[in-house]
Amino acid sequence: MFKKIENNFANHYVETQELPSGFVTNSSDLIKGYPKLQTLKELKAKQTEKYAVKALGCRVKTRDLVQTVNRWTEEFKLQFDVIMIGCMANNQRVLKFLKELPLLKLCSKPGFLFIWTTVDEIESLTTILNQNYGKKFRRSEELVFLPVNKNSIFYPQQDYSRLFENQQWNCWMCITGTVRRSNDQHLIHCNIDTDLQFENESLVSYNAVPNSVYKIAENFSNFNRRLHIIPYELGKTPIKLRHGWVILSPDVLLNNFNPLDYETQLQSKSLINYKNNQVQYLVGQTKEIEDLRPKSPGK
Amino acid sequence: MTKDFWHAEEYMIFIEFLKTYDSVLRDPRGGKLQNVVILFNTYSDQPPLTLEQFELYLDGFNSISDNAIEFKKDVWGQRIHFVDTDKLELVKARVSGVATKWTVKKVELEDNLSNLIEFLDTEDNSYEEIINLINQPTAKIVLSKTRSKLMVPQPFFEVCTDPQHCKVLSRVCLSRTEISSNNPKQIFPSIDECYISIDNNRHLFSKGIYGCSKSKIHHLPIINTHTELNLGDCSYLDTCHKMKSCRYLHYFTLSPSITPIDRAEELQKVRKALYEQEFTLGYCFSEFCKEILPPQWINCDVRKLPFKVLGKFSAIVSDPAWDIHMSLPYGTCSDAELMELPMHELQDEGIMLLWVTGRSIEIGRKALRKWGYTIKDEVIWIKLNQLKRTIVTGRTGHWLNHSKEHLLVGLKGNPSWINNMIDINTIVSNTRETSRKPDEVYDMVERIVGVHARKLEIFGRDHNIRPGWMTIGNQVTGTSIVEEEVLYKYHEINNIN
Ligand SMILES: [Zn+2]
Ligand SMILES: [Zn+2]
Repeated sequence: MFKKIENNFANHYVETQELPSGFVTNSSDLIKGYPKLQTLKELKAKQTEKYAVKALGCRVKTRDLVQTVNRWTEEFKLQFDVIMIGCMANNQRVLKFLKELPLLKLCSKPGFLFIWTTVDEIESLTTILNQNYGKKFRRSEELVFLPVNKNSIFYPQQDYSRLFENQQWNCWMCITGTVRRSNDQHLIHCNIDTDLQFENESLVSYNAVPNSVYKIAENFSNFNRRLHIIPYELGKTPIKLRHGWVILSPDVLLNNFNPLDYETQLQSKSLINYKNNQVQYLVGQTKEIEDLRPKSPGK
Repeated sequence: MTKDFWHAEEYMIFIEFLKTYDSVLRDPRGGKLQNVVILFNTYSDQPPLTLEQFELYLDGFNSISDNAIEFKKDVWGQRIHFVDTDKLELVKARVSGVATKWTVKKVELEDNLSNLIEFLDTEDNSYEEIINLINQPTAKIVLSKTRSKLMVPQPFFEVCTDPQHCKVLSRVCLSRTEISSNNPKQIFPSIDECYISIDNNRHLFSKGIYGCSKSKIHHLPIINTHTELNLGDCSYLDTCHKMKSCRYLHYFTLSPSITPIDRAEELQKVRKALYEQEFTLGYCFSEFCKEILPPQWINCDVRKLPFKVLGKFSAIVSDPAWDIHMSLPYGTCSDAELMELPMHELQDEGIMLLWVTGRSIEIGRKALRKWGYTIKDEVIWIKLNQLKRTIVTGRTGHWLNHSKEHLLVGLKGNPSWINNMIDINTIVSNTRETSRKPDEVYDMVERIVGVHARKLEIFGRDHNIRPGWMTIGNQVTGTSIVEEEVLYKYHEINNIN
């Protein structure tokens, strides 16, 4: 009598140290075989690009960072709709900054927070979100990014007191304010991306976060004001800029950010929407996108 | 009155004597007591002992020295057969109050210390090199990794991506005439039947394909009359409910087979070698010679079973039906009830693995903390379809699609017997029936705690039952208990005698 064998990649890893993720056949192109989704993503990227403000960097020393942000919120009443904090780096001590940054003022409502973290910090992060921010940022998705090669610069440093070897980088997506999945299609588009991303072979040069995660933020939120804070020097190559984003970091390549110019650019680039005395800076969407995007059942 | 009791200090002279005259055991004296006592009396400056007194004296010495002296009796009477010199040293040290000198070890320690100081003193050694040194895995981790590598329980097969192979094998194995004549009710042939077809038709294709069919996995395209090849793959693949009419392409997976007996014999050899080398660090000392307990299960309402019946466990796995939608089938636990379960009774120290889905991650973490665990890790299960692709469509999550599920890992206490850092925190495995979790977890847990450690699955179903594990829940069929103590207590609470 013969027994059918289903490959067990966990056992295979123990035997050969070959990572189980290497056997995922679509890891280099997740949407292979879904031509409609492929088209949708291309169209979304085109819109994001069309409405994007130019790539901006604000180079500030770590110790002056909180003060800088305070000035933005106090003097310029500056707000962002998408705020990413941290990146894929060990000991980035982002938690300390989370406590000090005036995020409730800095983030618009509705607004979206993307926080890079590691498994060891999950508990402290939960405490900070609950206590310092009174549960105003609701943890809505937990993204995982997997480096696929142990020699990759992104592969996490191992801590031998853990139970398992670590391959993951975690990024929490938190939402503040109200967005409705079925009615707010001008504000958000759901279910375009997935909560799991793999390192891509074509991603050769070093960047602090993978492009695929920037894209998740851009595809999900149709808001136009995006900020990425990397509070510490990484000691590697400088942080690259990205179209449509302001990058605040001691390490950023260019220092070309000015709150007043930014405001002017936003006004001319964005689709402006007035809602209850509030201005929303949006990325315009097309009918083609509306037809292609995944929708809630019954819509 | 003759002396029949001696204080510990009064034996110091005897220890000295034995060390000076270690020849006393050898010929011609041969350890014979009547010879030894004469020599001892001349050595010591105390009042001479008679043979009877000397026997009492030795008796007393043995009682304080944990039987340092072994006797043998023959025609010549009592003889000292063996003297344990380590025990002599220990008595001496205890009496004099001086710590025993383990010279060999001390020298090593001093050497290592001076090496380290020397290393730190050298200016060429940068900070990074030191960090690098500290970041090396411990010897224990390296050893337990090696051991687990030797014990991997099953072979591994590559997937063949040659479309020609798959086409040819599809024609041979899935020709519908054969399926209908052999097996009118079954849609697909069994793996055994496929290999019979392959053997019968081997003259029809190359030796290469024949060999490959037996060593690699092939996904054979199923070409029905209604299949439209230009439409591409069906997104449901082998889980498609309308395969008989669906116009998209489906596949039949042909995996090579092995006889389980061969592998079992191979593993038996490995276990024997590990047993002989006492390679049991972190496991039960009889890890490699003891029989594994048969599967045990109890059909029960988890909320009503007194956990004291079950005893303590090293590892607990649980997949609760979290009530995120508030509409519960009969018999499932609400989140509040789940949090109230007296989980603290089940483990003094050990690991708990808790499956959570999307919105229940937070409540799962809360539950673990409430039950006395620190969250040590989060394993993700990357869910794959038949062709090993991740699931990227189908509105599987509220805001984003979900390609993974989370397994929270909690640790209670600080158990020294944990074998950590053997597995990786990503499981890559196919989806099966709704909510059925991957079996990979069981081997991973057994690598951490050993196969003989007591392991419990809460809210298990029939397919979760396995050797070495206790499975409880209202979805297992019947009850089967092997461990005497559990059986006794179970009967006690059910008033059966
Ligand atoms: Zn082949
Ligand atoms: Zn189908």
